[in-house]
Amino acid sequence: MAKPVVRLQVVQALMFAGLAALVGRAAQVQLVRGARYAAEAQAQRTQRVVLEARRGTLYDRHGTPIALTQETYHVGVAPNELRDPVRDGRLIMRQLRLTLRRWEHGLRKRYAYFQGPYSALEIHPLRAVQGVHLEPVLNRFYPSPDFARAVIGRVGADGRGASGLERTLDSLLAGTPGAAVVLRDRAGLEYESPARLIAGPVAGHDVVLTLDAELQEIAQRALDEALRRMDAEGGDVLMLDPVSGEVLAVAARHDDGGARPSAFSDVFEPGSTAKIFAAAALLTGNLVRPDERVSGEGGKYRLASRTIEDEHPLPTLTLADAIRVSSNIALVKFAARLAPEEQYRILRDFGFGAPTGIEFPAESPGRLRFPKDWTRPSAASLAMGYELSVTPLQLAVAYAALGNEGVLLQPSLLREIRTPDGKVIYRHRPEPVRRVVPPEVAAQLRDLLLGVVEGGTGAEAALTTFPLAAKTGTARRVVDGRYAPGQYTASFAALFPADQPQLVVVVKIDSPRRGSFFAAQTAAPVTRSMLEQALAARTVALDRARLSTSVPAPESAPLKGDGGVVPYVVGWPYRPDSAATGPERAVPDVGGRPIREAVHALHRRGFRVVLKGWGAVDHTWPAAGERARAGSTVTLFATDRP
Amino acid sequence: MTELRWETRLLAVVAAVLVVFGLAAVYGASSLLTTSGRQVGASFALRQALGAVIGGLLATILARLDYHVWQRAAWPLVAIVAVLLVIPLLPLTHAIAPTINGARRWVDLGVMTLQPSEFAKYAVVVWTAMLAAKKGDQIRTLRRGVLPFLVIIGPIAGLIFLEPNLSMALLVAMLAGVVLFSAGARIGHFLALAVAAMPLLYGAVANAQYRLARVLSFLNPGSAPSEATWQVHQSLVGIGAGQVFGVGFGQGQQKLGYLPYAYSDFIFSTIGEEWGLVGVVLIALLFGVFVWLGFRIAKSAPDPFGQLLAVGITALVGLGAVLHIGVSLAVIPATGITLPFISYGRSSLIVSLAATGVLASVGHARRRAG
Repeated sequence: MAKPVVRLQVVQALMFAGLAALVGRAAQVQLVRGARYAAEAQAQRTQRVVLEARRGTLYDRHGTPIALTQETYHVGVAPNELRDPVRDGRLIMRQLRLTLRRWEHGLRKRYAYFQGPYSALEIHPLRAVQGVHLEPVLNRFYPSPDFARAVIGRVGADGRGASGLERTLDSLLAGTPGAAVVLRDRAGLEYESPARLIAGPVAGHDVVLTLDAELQEIAQRALDEALRRMDAEGGDVLMLDPVSGEVLAVAARHDDGGARPSAFSDVFEPGSTAKIFAAAALLTGNLVRPDERVSGEGGKYRLASRTIEDEHPLPTLTLADAIRVSSNIALVKFAARLAPEEQYRILRDFGFGAPTGIEFPAESPGRLRFPKDWTRPSAASLAMGYELSVTPLQLAVAYAALGNEGVLLQPSLLREIRTPDGKVIYRHRPEPVRRVVPPEVAAQLRDLLLGVVEGGTGAEAALTTFPLAAKTGTARRVVDGRYAPGQYTASFAALFPADQPQLVVVVKIDSPRRGSFFAAQTAAPVTRSMLEQALAARTVALDRARLSTSVPAPESAPLKGDGGVVPYVVGWPYRPDSAATGPERAVPDVGGRPIREAVHALHRRGFRVVLKGWGAVDHTWPAAGERARAGSTVTLFATDRP
Repeated sequence: MTELRWETRLLAVVAAVLVVFGLAAVYGASSLLTTSGRQVGASFALRQALGAVIGGLLATILARLDYHVWQRAAWPLVAIVAVLLVIPLLPLTHAIAPTINGARRWVDLGVMTLQPSEFAKYAVVVWTAMLAAKKGDQIRTLRRGVLPFLVIIGPIAGLIFLEPNLSMALLVAMLAGVVLFSAGARIGHFLALAVAAMPLLYGAVANAQYRLARVLSFLNPGSAPSEATWQVHQSLVGIGAGQVFGVGFGQGQQKLGYLPYAYSDFIFSTIGEEWGLVGVVLIALLFGVFVWLGFRIAKSAPDPFGQLLAVGITALVGLGAVLHIGVSLAVIPATGITLPFISYGRSSLIVSLAATGVLASVGHARRRAG
């Protein structure tokens, strides 16, 4: 049996060789190419998923949510996975509020899908039910969809802000999406448990807007009502806090159904509402004495190229009379004393022809031409509020300066920005742009406006309880670049109350077609109605303590007659001879901002700017946060960053 | 002659280690699966454990039995296996032999489901050893030596092929071949048979789409992302991803639908993924020791039947392991060969354990004879 033993050795050797060869092959697969296979395995069975971050909430100034993101659910049911189809079915039907028919129809499918969306509360009892699959979705929800719609804007299908504040504030609201790696099987099914979180989602910041839900509501309703009553083409209502520059309400309505933020984006010729600015220039320059009178010319005044008419002719008029009855003739006569540069400067200082800088993606700068581009009648036209186009916002901001002792503020829609855990990282403070008129002139101008309501064109707006300072304006309307016959824009700008204004209201109505087209009969009563509602409302941001004291003592209007306070007036544009005696103020932090923005910001604070370098701002001297006198020089050091 | 005692003991230890390892591997690879809407969980592993208990008891009994009973039982064994193999092929037996994955390989005996082809492996080994031992030197002739074997093994392999299960048919033929070769059959006869079988084999492969796909994907991997390529590729990805130390027991993820039959036909891939090269070497070592012990027992067997039986059983385990691992490593075209002791499948486990018991009894016999 020698041969069989040899054969056994052969068979044994072959088997060992086979095993050895396989170990070698395994070593090749696992050592030499192992990393590659591991990578391939990783790639095919893991999937990176984006964890959506909750978008921040928009609140009104009192904390009422205006736009919020909620987690809602779609619900899928796999009937064959249900443990107890009858009992579970009853629960599902009740929670999802399904009809029996719909549920039975769903049962016949392999996978019934209920779109919903269902709230977390509704689906909560279903979480434990086997066979129910929940699909969470983040939805942007607007509790009252019509609320300042054009201003709030909307979120696009990609979840990013598409318009309005949703767009401006997108980077703040969006948050940072997280990421996780999940395991998935060949069928694409994801396994939750061995998921690896790379970064948790960080919810977006919450933003408290300056809007006042109740005032907004009042404004919208009043505007709607007015437009219907007057059969007008459209209109805007804007309310502003003159002391802080905060926008309290923005309503817009148009015949064409468009929901554009027209208070910021659409311009019009203000007409008589702008007369007060000519008066401001005259008073600032001491060019008119209060008792000085000009002839009313019997209502018709022939100028070189045209005839100017008055609706309510008086024999002789003071400046106060000119404003009160809105006399074109008298104002043109007074305004003739202004040099074109002076006239231009005051309008420019009130903010016309430049964007107000409100935090909104679409804002029109309006139009104000340089004196060198003026024609002969331009000065007279500008005095009457023509050859000038403004947005309702610009008009409101300019009137707010009158109510804020002559200091123009940058309007704002943002009151507060909070991190998801409630820390306040930004709180709005009044942002002074420049002093336009001295406080005493502002007070004089308010007196002129008070006269408008007390026995002038604005009488229709008069409140029984509080004094109101206001001005009407009825201007021919420009449609497609030319004056449209029979079409007018009625506007009304009011300061409430007249002595210590807490509210600026601008109402603009396009082409009222039924009844009077005069602002005195259209926009003025709307304003009164809104103010009455605002006073009746409980939560509106009015300082009632200040209101109540101001009623019995109107003679104690500030800065009128009492020379106790001598505020420093920052001349603008800056003139060196009046330099560096201003109050100390903090140097704003402009680091990292483009030079143009930085210079703009520093100028607004009243600093001179010296520039070193080019590109983006690196630092300033004095450094950000240090205090320096208004009018002193701040040096900007810029570096050319790639 | 006490040295043989350690051999049988070591054999038992190796088999036990492999079985335990297998139970863990089956649990890990199958627990996340869902079959007919229900998660498998531990049910596969528990069923396998039951098989291990039965197989272990059987092995213990068989180890104490004189192996010569198999010499007498060879013919009846072949007859029973032949009957079992015929059942799935009959038209009216679907109740006890259902079609699973396009093949009828299982017979439900009420108590448990058997895979007759697994038993056929053992029956063929026993029968071939018996007849070869009886023929002695006659085996070197064609007419009286080799032909009688063909008459029986041919139909058995044919029946397995008809299930259809070509790989198992080939394995059975190879096992018979190993026994015959060890018995001294002429190499020329093997060559002649191989040449004669070529056209048959080719026909069988070309006939079935899936076999052709497997072979093509083996010959030219990456050509078409067919299901066959996918399986082989996923097996490699899994083993490769294991690298040196593996991803850790139970941490393998190829079983999440990427690797088909991760608990049976591709269990070696799961082991390679979870235990890395260390596990691969360990498994190879265990089977290597088993083969080494088997041949030690064979060489010291008291008679030709014992010797051939030992060789056949060693080949049954060793060849099965080599083929299974070879498939997992894409060295051999993809087939459905189980890994002895480890793969899920009670028939395979019980047969492997019982055969090990018989092998041990051959080892004991030498001691008793001495």
